Amino acid sequence: MTRTDSKDQFQGGVAWQGTVCFLHRTPRAFLPMRSFESLNLIAGRGIEGDRYLIENEAGFYSHKPEEGRQVTLFEMESLEAIMRDYAIELRPEEHRRNITVRGVPLNHLVFQRFRVGACLLEATRLSTPCRHIEEILGKPVFDPMIHRSGLNCRIIEGGEVRVGDIVRPC
Amino acid sequence: MAKAIRTVKTIVKDISEPLAGIKVLVLEDEDQWDLPPFRPGAHIDLHLGKKLVRTYSLCNAPHENSRYVLGVKKEDLGRGGSRFIHEGLEVGGRIDVSLPRGGMDFDQENMNIFVAGGIGITPFVSAIRHMENQSRANYVLYWSSNGPASIPEMIRPAIDAGRVHISDTRHDPFPDYAAIVSAHGQHSKVFCCGPEPMLRAFEQAVSSWPTERVHIERFSIAKPDIAGSDDTFKVVLSRSGREAVVEPGANIVHMLEELDADISFSCEGGICGACRTPWIEGPPVHNDRVLTPAEREKDVIVCVAGCAGPRLVLDA
Repeated sequence: MTRTDSKDQFQGGVAWQGTVCFLHRTPRAFLPMRSFESLNLIAGRGIEGDRYLIENEAGFYSHKPEEGRQVTLFEMESLEAIMRDYAIELRPEEHRRNITVRGVPLNHLVFQRFRVGACLLEATRLSTPCRHIEEILGKPVFDPMIHRSGLNCRIIEGGEVRVGDIVRPC
Repeated sequence: MAKAIRTVKTIVKDISEPLAGIKVLVLEDEDQWDLPPFRPGAHIDLHLGKKLVRTYSLCNAPHENSRYVLGVKKEDLGRGGSRFIHEGLEVGGRIDVSLPRGGMDFDQENMNIFVAGGIGITPFVSAIRHMENQSRANYVLYWSSNGPASIPEMIRPAIDAGRVHISDTRHDPFPDYAAIVSAHGQHSKVFCCGPEPMLRAFEQAVSSWPTERVHIERFSIAKPDIAGSDDTFKVVLSRSGREAVVEPGANIVHMLEELDADISFSCEGGICGACRTPWIEGPPVHNDRVLTPAEREKDVIVCVAGCAGPRLVLDA
């Protein structure tokens, strides 16, 4: 990353711009995530057809309502780091977050707003790893995902997000 | 308190009866979404009603990931699971199932010897379909039944290829397991599933075999690797008075959910702190990675906790 004085690119002292690499959703807990070229984000609710869409509530954690869990993101770089550090292949459909990005410092974006394509998201908290994923995958990824388990966000402005969209500060 | 979803919701897409007393069920997701993947020889729990949970092998090929196929023999003297399936289950009905568990690891080069008794054929159906799908011929099945074979059409390609030996013990000799397992070389791997007397006879026949070359299918449930305690203890909720016995290896989270404990669980791995709860009696065995020694004097991360004493009393 390089420093810049550009107002549009400046956030927390460091400029960044990333890309949407993969998009996934699943309608119910435990079912495999399916890859899509685009997802429809609904402001204030979640992703059309996803298990955590508010008023759908068919996810593993849906018994714990959370307004700020409308969409979740994960870094491609974390998948590569888990392979590098633990020799575990964790594929984009396996981390069970919705949007896999590259070049986006997710851990630094809590409470900040940023754009994914035309949509505006507000990060609410870091995701934490859970045994649920290990149970589904049969892979020992709980420890490898600590501190790099993705980001939970609220959808401020909805719309269509597509693979290849730019992710940027706002 | 709302509970976590712990099962996969499916609908009964088809029921057939290829042989009297044998039903084949096809389960699918309501939107034909893919179901959780499984390994050859894996099994699932069917939640047939309150406290009525039964385990059955998956009979379709693992690459057919949009459905689960099961073969169920009606056991009139059983505990009620197969009777419910045969008499109470209808196409269109909803049924919750567990994630698939277990499976078979085949020898890649040497012969894999499958030995089935009666409806014990079921785990070998997905295994054989997997092998056939991979164009692998290094297996043989010996399948004996006290009557006609139940679901031969499900392994028809293997039968036609001459890799299956079927016997009816009403008129054929009882299988000589020692001869069967020694017929394919000392590096073979053997697998067996069937009624308990058959399993005991088979175990005797392979008693001198190295354990890594023997797979006995008993639907055993793998213990979670985060078991909190090696000893049985009782978990007690002080406010409601409700209590449960926690066996070694049991999942304390599931037990506390059954007790309607007012404890919130999230990561279930001892790091998020969501289930941090004051303890009154114990002392707990702390397996978390978030509490300081001073905090552990008062609180416990319940999801990974064990107990050094006979009772873990929680202020909940």
